[in-house]
Amino acid sequence: MFLAAFSPKDDRKASPDAALVRLLLQNDVAAFEKLYDKYSRIVYSLVLRIVQQSGPAEEVVQDVFLQLWRNSAQYDAARGPFVPWLLTLARNRALDTLRLKSERQRRLENQTDELFSVVVAPQYEKELDEKRRAERVRSLVGELNPQQKRAIELAYFQGLSHSEIAAELKEPLGTVKSWIRNGLIRLKEGLRTAT
Amino acid sequence: MTNCDQFREMYEAYALGALDPPERTALEAHLATGCAECAKSVAEARWLVSQLAYLAPEAATSDMLKGRLMQAVRSEAKSKSSSPVVTAASTTSSGIPYWLSAGIAALLLLTLYFAWDAHRLRDELRAANERNQRTEQLVASAEGEYAATQRKLAVMEEQMAKMHRENAILTDPASVKIMLAAQKIRAPQMVAMWHAKYGIVLTGQKVPMPSGNRVLQLWLIPKAPGGKPMPAMTVRPDANGNFVILVANPPVAGSDTKALAITEEPAGGSSAPTTAPKWVGAMT
Repeated sequence: MFLAAFSPKDDRKASPDAALVRLLLQNDVAAFEKLYDKYSRIVYSLVLRIVQQSGPAEEVVQDVFLQLWRNSAQYDAARGPFVPWLLTLARNRALDTLRLKSERQRRLENQTDELFSVVVAPQYEKELDEKRRAERVRSLVGELNPQQKRAIELAYFQGLSHSEIAAELKEPLGTVKSWIRNGLIRLKEGLRTAT
Repeated sequence: MTNCDQFREMYEAYALGALDPPERTALEAHLATGCAECAKSVAEARWLVSQLAYLAPEAATSDMLKGRLMQAVRSEAKSKSSSPVVTAASTTSSGIPYWLSAGIAALLLLTLYFAWDAHRLRDELRAANERNQRTEQLVASAEGEYAATQRKLAVMEEQMAKMHRENAILTDPASVKIMLAAQKIRAPQMVAMWHAKYGIVLTGQKVPMPSGNRVLQLWLIPKAPGGKPMPAMTVRPDANGNFVILVANPPVAGSDTKALAITEEPAGGSSAPTTAPKWVGAMT
């Protein structure tokens, strides 16, 4: 895969999360429990926001963590931080459930691809606790105009494309594209200056 | 303008999954050339997009989920350290009966037809899109309808797969029938059918309603000495006391299970039984 050739410079120390993921290779159940206790809340919150029902949300969370347990060898800490990788995996699984994608459809697609997605934190990113990170992101997105925020939420939590959002909001396609891009750029700039 | 310039405004939307097919295809084709600059920008955009997860209202998982997950993980850890055991995931990905394959193949053909038809429609609309903004909105509308059609197809396929699975469990001679007798209460038996590949269907009729908002919870009792009951599913019967539930991926294999039991538990279920079983049935 071409992305394998791209290896971001790893100038940070190996994170405690990466160390825990490495322990999963040795079937370390205690390490798995620590990761679950640390991140199940944010993963479940995200998945529940997408699928809206607690039963299916719990099934997705179980699927995500079992996938982490069974495929931990495929997470490469040198190619990006753990939490964004886990959240990306959880979001994809939840959107599959939202679209009622069957197990067979998932098998037809190359589901292992998402395990190899490269996620790189920018240089200004610091290790923050989950609570402060949540407050910062909510505050920055809360400053966007309501339509702009709505467009980003439709894309992120419902998996809609530019065209689908334009149809949903009854706004021109070009306007929707600008809202989303400018909103995310403002979020990026806000995160940069907040650190 | 370099080759990368035309893609700079797409990184965030690509990471978000919001690009429409023509733009997505163009960017992916460019990434496939090995452009390190764009690959890095997309990877950073993925990080930015992942931060949107923190917009979700905070919600706590149930103890039952953790209990179920940890039991599955401990069981797999034990299996890996001793002998290889077929996992629930691999059993569900094994062979499919011919009639089910034929049905799915027909659906696939239908899906391909819709995909081809929508693709052709999109191409036509794209040409008009270049002429004016009004036509561009027609494209958006057509793609919205296409997506809606795809969702309907997905719903149909999902319902069909669930129906076939329940049907297979109930009719396949390979399924094991387990009668669950009521314990110290006056209530009819429950019936469970367990198929090694497709899971468990549990049915109850004229079942006494659990008090308040409590639920009935199914437990799988492992054969292993000292094995703790594995939580499988919770249900509240309908107004007539009837229910049918499907456990598509039982947390333990039938061959490793000694018995099924039903207890009454608080809403949301429990990670370990908190009351004595009301129905019990041994595996034959």
